[in-house]
Amino acid sequence: MRVAYLANYFIAGCAASSLLGWVASTSPMAGKAIAFFVAAAFILWGLCWLLDFSVSNWLKISVNNLQAFLLAVLAMGVIGVGVFLCS
Amino acid sequence: MFLKMFVLSGSAVILWLTPLAVLDKKIGWHKSAQGLSLVVAVSCAIGAGNIAKRLAEENEIEEIKTRAITADVVDEIATSAYISQTQRQQEAEQILNPREHLERSLALSYNDGERSEPSDQKQLAEPEQNALENAESERAKRALQLKAQGWGKAKIILELWGVSKGGSPKYKAAEAEYRRLVEDS
Repeated sequence: MRVAYLANYFIAGCAASSLLGWVASTSPMAGKAIAFFVAAAFILWGLCWLLDFSVSNWLKISVNNLQAFLLAVLAMGVIGVGVFLCS
Repeated sequence: MFLKMFVLSGSAVILWLTPLAVLDKKIGWHKSAQGLSLVVAVSCAIGAGNIAKRLAEENEIEEIKTRAITADVVDEIATSAYISQTQRQQEAEQILNPREHLERSLALSYNDGERSEPSDQKQLAEPEQNALENAESERAKRALQLKAQGWGKAKIILELWGVSKGGSPKYKAAEAEYRRLVEDS
């Protein structure tokens, strides 16, 4: 059951990424806003990846869990945007 | 609950992929339908995830309960095995002849060459009687101590005579002896 709920949240993340892509494609202004948001999120992701020990202490989770979460977020973003662009 | 979760999961995947693959982004209402279906897909996936999480937590609680019950049963079995072992040991000790006890203790105190047979039967009977009296007085003392500590009769009998409470003749005999010891003291 744990796998089921993780899979469902993963699908939600993928669909949300596709939705962001869809919002970005609606108008140039929205595209710029989404691009800014994606850039900020990517910088934050990179910082979390580099400062994994500090962030895991701050969030009170293990480093392995934090890295798994970050990789899952990256995979969700890539899959969601990829599905939107390839369709 | 399971059915709802599976329906929501399936809907989420279908609503995420199908409109993007089937509908044309250049047509206005197709694009709107894609956006709408993506929003619904996210909602369905989150709903299914929440249901699955709740079910996972309930399963975890059930597993903890099962583990606790199993541990209780194992503990109960171990306790009863220990009690029955102690009981068997005490019964075996009671079965052994007091004379044999004495002979054993005498045999331990002498070497083979120095061993001598008791010439007088009275000499053997006297220490035997003393040993019995000592055992009885120690048992009475211990019973009084346990009683003073607030132990119940059945528990004291189980501890000192190794007999569980019930209508067995052994228990009745032990109970009678317990009464006699306590009243004498």
